Amino acid sequence: MTDTPAVVEVRSLHVRFGEIEAVSGVDLRAHAGQATALLGRNGAGKSTTMRVLAGVVPPTAGQVTVAGHDVRTHPLRVKQAIGYCPDVGGLVPRATPWEHLQLAARLRRMERWEDRARDLLERFELGDVAHRVTAGFSHGMGRRLSVVLAALHEPEVLLLDEPFDGVDPIGVEATFDVISDARARGACVLVSTHLRELAVQSCTTVSVLRGGSAVATVSAGEMAGEEGARAYRSLLD
Amino acid sequence: MPTEASSTDAASRPGPGGVIEQVRRAVADVGHLVRFRTASLRRRRAGVVALAGFVVVSLGAAVVPAFVPGAGAGDGRALDLLLLLPTLLTGFLALTIVSATASGGGRELLARDPAAIHPISPTTDHLGALLLAPLNIAWLLQAWALLAATAYALGPELYLAQAQVIVVLWLGAATAIAQVLAWILEGVRRVPHGIVGIRALTVGVLGATLGLQVSGRLLQVFDELPTRWIVIGMVSDSVGRWALTVGVVVAMLLGAVVLGAVPAHIAAHRIPQDELDVESGQHPARRPSRSMLGQLIRTDRASVWRAVPMRRGVAVLALAPGLVALAGNLPWAQLTVLPGLVASGGALLWGVNAWCLDGRGGLWRESLPVEPQTVFDARAWVLGEFLLAASLVTVALGAVRAGVPSVAELTALVCTLVVVTVQVVAASLRWSDQRPFAVDLRSARATPAPPVVMVGYSARLALSTTITGLVFSGLANLGAWQVSALVAVPFLAWSTARLLRTRRLWCEPVARARVITAVAV
Repeated sequence: MTDTPAVVEVRSLHVRFGEIEAVSGVDLRAHAGQATALLGRNGAGKSTTMRVLAGVVPPTAGQVTVAGHDVRTHPLRVKQAIGYCPDVGGLVPRATPWEHLQLAARLRRMERWEDRARDLLERFELGDVAHRVTAGFSHGMGRRLSVVLAALHEPEVLLLDEPFDGVDPIGVEATFDVISDARARGACVLVSTHLRELAVQSCTTVSVLRGGSAVATVSAGEMAGEEGARAYRSLLD
Repeated sequence: MPTEASSTDAASRPGPGGVIEQVRRAVADVGHLVRFRTASLRRRRAGVVALAGFVVVSLGAAVVPAFVPGAGAGDGRALDLLLLLPTLLTGFLALTIVSATASGGGRELLARDPAAIHPISPTTDHLGALLLAPLNIAWLLQAWALLAATAYALGPELYLAQAQVIVVLWLGAATAIAQVLAWILEGVRRVPHGIVGIRALTVGVLGATLGLQVSGRLLQVFDELPTRWIVIGMVSDSVGRWALTVGVVVAMLLGAVVLGAVPAHIAAHRIPQDELDVESGQHPARRPSRSMLGQLIRTDRASVWRAVPMRRGVAVLALAPGLVALAGNLPWAQLTVLPGLVASGGALLWGVNAWCLDGRGGLWRESLPVEPQTVFDARAWVLGEFLLAASLVTVALGAVRAGVPSVAELTALVCTLVVVTVQVVAASLRWSDQRPFAVDLRSARATPAPPVVMVGYSARLALSTTITGLVFSGLANLGAWQVSALVAVPFLAWSTARLLRTRRLWCEPVARARVITAVAV
């Protein structure tokens, strides 16, 4: 779809947990300034693929490079390049949002991060709870904070796994803004979701995963509307 | 957390026979939950072996000491133990009260989150907590000690069997009575200012005990304990008196089991105030730490000290043995046994599943650009300081009346503190890597691993640290401080080597991913 070199490149990715093969041969290319959605049903391998890209889970087989670094040999450099919103929770229960931000900033050697952190918290309507532990947060609040944490350091690769799940319209709008800001500054964005409409609205490209492998990669426009819904459904069956 | 029966649940509606029906349903639900939990056991064979081991050890404790020379002699140590039996029975009750109260009413058959979707009544929760109470190494050790003391005190006489029947019934009755008190105290804790009230009550009880000790009236109180009546029934030649004692203890057991459901319902209807305080309270920002390790330690420290079960548990662990040592006027050489027990108990609060501290935040934390060994070092440091702090409080309390120690005694104690801390940290982090569990440590009733696994961990920790404590206790009496220091070296080398091996395993990406994804479910 583009001639520019891919920032995220996945070739024949396999991830196995004991007897279970969570990902079986995913191929994926994502480019700078673009947002790619990973669509698929539960258990399609979206979250495991995102965990591999974030350097959290090592691949069993295949080649995965993120921002030019091999996730297997240089996981730390991958982690420096990415911002990751995990699919479940993603928050330390007895730490406050501000402590999460402080830890993320400290480990990335960020200077003068506080203003951006405050701005992001305000945009996601979390300013009032910045010093409360996250154990008492609702699911939607937790999701919003996870997006804030992923976006804080303006990463080269932004990985958002189910960022819209249980989030109210204001949170969805704020997440859209984060994605478009990231694209505008040339970041590569990957969004894993099962919500086709939101994927189409926020992304330029859509990759559909089924049974642990990618079955199609199309432009977001092709997945829009009734026709897109029919096409998506046919890919899932 | 127990949930009320649904309003749509026919059995929960009042009506003819409603209460009886609810009780029958609650008892049946305990069976369902036990079957559910046992079905999820991964190592069933180990469970069967553990059960068989429990039966063998219990029978051994109840019979074998009766055949030891001097048992049942009517003088010497056997007589001393016989005279002490009322105090030991009361001591067991005190231990179960502390244990059940510290754990917010006892352990849960099913953790709060997964239980929330089921109509589990507080009665079921109460009965489940009673069932799980013996799955606690402190309970087991005290119970075996009581059986063994009875056997030694009475010897191989015919009435040993009748006495042990009463002891076993007392173990049940004391546990049930403790459960009633624990629910009442938990109910009080959950009213506004209830926590302050409970703290005041605790200080009052401790103050009264210390007052009795200082005034020299504690022994008089021990001599007049109501449990004397039970001990007389145990050794009575009259079948009628024995039967009456059995009847009274059984009545206490059944009465407490039934009565406990009432405060359990009351507590279940109230919100846990301490959890609410932690979750709704403000924690002002601090300046970032100078180093990455420092920042990680700070995050881990907050996760530990803001957790209700950890705070409550460590307070009990640090204070209770220290106060016993204070009241018992333990000499320095015997104080060496305490740090091991306290450190073992502290590890059982969270250390044996140390990566569960991050909960679902584990995935995010793992995506941060930091070397895995730094993460490991921070967790090991925080666990070590947690255990050491508790042990130091215990030792400080015990030292109040122990006089001025010799250099050898002080060296032995310092060596014990260091050795058992490294020993317990190494074992805990090894188990954390080997068997990670996804648990939520918000509730005071939460444990870092399933009950059966916890018994295994606690037995292994208690055994190794007690042996270490006894070794240094012996060395404290030698008079040469250099011996303790020399003996500490191989202990430390062994534990450090095991800790470093676990650290190397943690740095292996596949092994680490297995742990992280398991605790972050």
